[in-house]
Amino acid sequence: MEKFVGYTFQELLKALIGFIDVAGLYLALTQLTHRNISQNHKFQAVGLGWALADSVLHRLAPLWVGARGLEFTWDYILQGLEANANLVLSISLAALGSLIWLRKNKPKTLIPIIYACAGIVATMPSITSYLRRGLGWHFPKVVGFELFTSLVMAFISWQLFSACQRPYV
Amino acid sequence: MALSKNSGGHRGMQESMYSVIALVFILVACVELCDAAAAIDVYRLIQYDMSGSAYGSRFAALNHHAASLHFPPGADLSRAVLIIPLRELNITFVREYINQKKPLGGLLFLLPDIFSFENGGNKQVHEKEQLKNLLAELEQLLIHANIPYPVYFAFENDEIDTVLADIKKNDAIGQPATATTGGYKLVIPTPEPKKVASPTITNIQGWLSGLKADGDTNQLPTIAIVASYDTFGAAPALSVGSDSNGSGVVALLEIARLFSLLYSNPKTRGRYNLLFGLTSGGPYNYNGTQKWLRSFDQRLRESIDYAICLNSIGSWDNELWIHVSKPPENAYIKQIFEGFSNVAEEMDIKVGLKHKKINISNPRVAREHEQFSRLRVTAATLSEISTAPELLQGTGGLYDSRQFVNETAITRVVKLVAESLARHIYGHQGKNVQIFADGGSLAVNPAYIQSWLDLLSQTPRVAPFLSKNDPFVMALKKELADHTDEVNMQHEVLEGVFTFYDSTSARLNIYQVASVTFDLLLLLVLGSYLIVLFSFLVITTRGLDDLISLFRRPPSRKVKTA
Repeated sequence: MEKFVGYTFQELLKALIGFIDVAGLYLALTQLTHRNISQNHKFQAVGLGWALADSVLHRLAPLWVGARGLEFTWDYILQGLEANANLVLSISLAALGSLIWLRKNKPKTLIPIIYACAGIVATMPSITSYLRRGLGWHFPKVVGFELFTSLVMAFISWQLFSACQRPYV
Repeated sequence: MALSKNSGGHRGMQESMYSVIALVFILVACVELCDAAAAIDVYRLIQYDMSGSAYGSRFAALNHHAASLHFPPGADLSRAVLIIPLRELNITFVREYINQKKPLGGLLFLLPDIFSFENGGNKQVHEKEQLKNLLAELEQLLIHANIPYPVYFAFENDEIDTVLADIKKNDAIGQPATATTGGYKLVIPTPEPKKVASPTITNIQGWLSGLKADGDTNQLPTIAIVASYDTFGAAPALSVGSDSNGSGVVALLEIARLFSLLYSNPKTRGRYNLLFGLTSGGPYNYNGTQKWLRSFDQRLRESIDYAICLNSIGSWDNELWIHVSKPPENAYIKQIFEGFSNVAEEMDIKVGLKHKKINISNPRVAREHEQFSRLRVTAATLSEISTAPELLQGTGGLYDSRQFVNETAITRVVKLVAESLARHIYGHQGKNVQIFADGGSLAVNPAYIQSWLDLLSQTPRVAPFLSKNDPFVMALKKELADHTDEVNMQHEVLEGVFTFYDSTSARLNIYQVASVTFDLLLLLVLGSYLIVLFSFLVITTRGLDDLISLFRRPPSRKVKTA
């Protein structure tokens, strides 16, 4: 019973962090105004910056402390790959976010898809931790899954973005 | 005004505190710290100088790769540590290595569990005697050699067994199997060993006064019972010496207890004083005993009728030896021997007499009674060993663990000695009187013997590493004080022939390291991955031309200005 309680607390924490991601991206996209930057580049810049901050906070400390030991583990290489996947996911989330909040004239049919994709990308931390703890996947498998989904989501959001750009009627 | 400003500032600090705490909390939730490798306790070979010559292992710090006995022939081991379990030890191989001074990074011997106190217990291991003899031989080899690299002992456990199996597998193939298991690195980060400044030896004596008849002005005769309590072995942190001379110490304490019971009542107090001596410096030609005797008043020394020294009385079957220096025809010796023989016959023990003349010019003192004999005091040593040991041999080393001592044997010796002494004191020689009969109030207490033997088997007692106020020495003093009227401690400095060095135990870290080629390979792979990623991104966002233009030199300025 205790294990279950601890498990859900961790999960709540991870979901909270995912939510903070979304909220932070919203703030960065809407509140911070840059006059001389087109919408295309804005989401890229925001996504890049967010991914950088995320990597530094989550991965720099363990890398500095752990990778200097005498023993070799694959963990840090995998964490690097995970950071790559995270970058792609952040950029696609920023793209979807910019679509949601910055572009007002979207084709009606695509709106639910946009929100659904944004939801999936936002809850990615919870999904990965569930895979690791609930299903007991090993770290390399989880990283592979993250890379795959990041590429898929990037492709989808790219398609959505270009679809929303077309109707300049 | 100022108050609200203060409170505002205070609130601001609180808010920033909260955000810092929240940040730390989030970080902790996301960050998982990595664990290190295996770590085990290891014990170093002793390092000492004797008469200027260096012996033992001269280094303590270790930072080398591990190798097993299956190393490919001709391999360079000067930067490798050989891990040798005792069961697979080939003593001629080690002897060859040491005598021919072949270069080696270090040695790590793995001892089976039976030699440790916690895990030894009563496990029945076949070849127990064989292992014991092998370890004794190894110890003698290591103690008398000058080894220019660290030598450590450790007990076998699951962790190190798996590591050793892995190392053997890799060695057998000749090259490490997979890139990640390039090998194991053994690291012991200790500072350079330093000399132990003025090692002290502490002698403890307890005095039990006899009954003086009214009007008798003469000094009462004294009987001395002596045992040396310190040890010397290959690994000072493991030299518990259960048999040599833990058994002697335990027997002395029990005899003291029994006689204190007798002497507490004036009606049963004998006409002899009893002097109990726990001496130190035993392995070093009984240096402590010599200093103790020299400190005696001439009158006291002359009043000693005889002294019984107890040494190694814990693992005999049915034969004991009394060693003397005076010839057996001597009246006193005859009296002592007959007294012991009579009691021994009743108890079904065989007691033999061994005579060895002492040579005053030879500094070697093989048995404690010889120190008494050199000062013309009649003395004998009771021991289960018939031959005289060499210097630093049989002094309670690694192989002398609790497993090999039998408390019933000690109980029988206590009864033998106590009964013989009592018959001499109370004048019942030749009579069949059982003073310390089993089941009576004066019976020998096996529980007392067992508990003290267990304590002694867990306490390493190499004299230079026992300080003046060491808790164990204090415990011995207190115990003797309980059973005697007066206790004195004598602190002396161990004579200058011996110099000892510290750093007797450490913690060994075992790391699994990858080979250098693996590191380079990984660097190459990661570098190429990053380059590919970079060029992919540049091509997709700016086009192939941009990528190529990165490598082309910019058009030279000269053309423009011309």
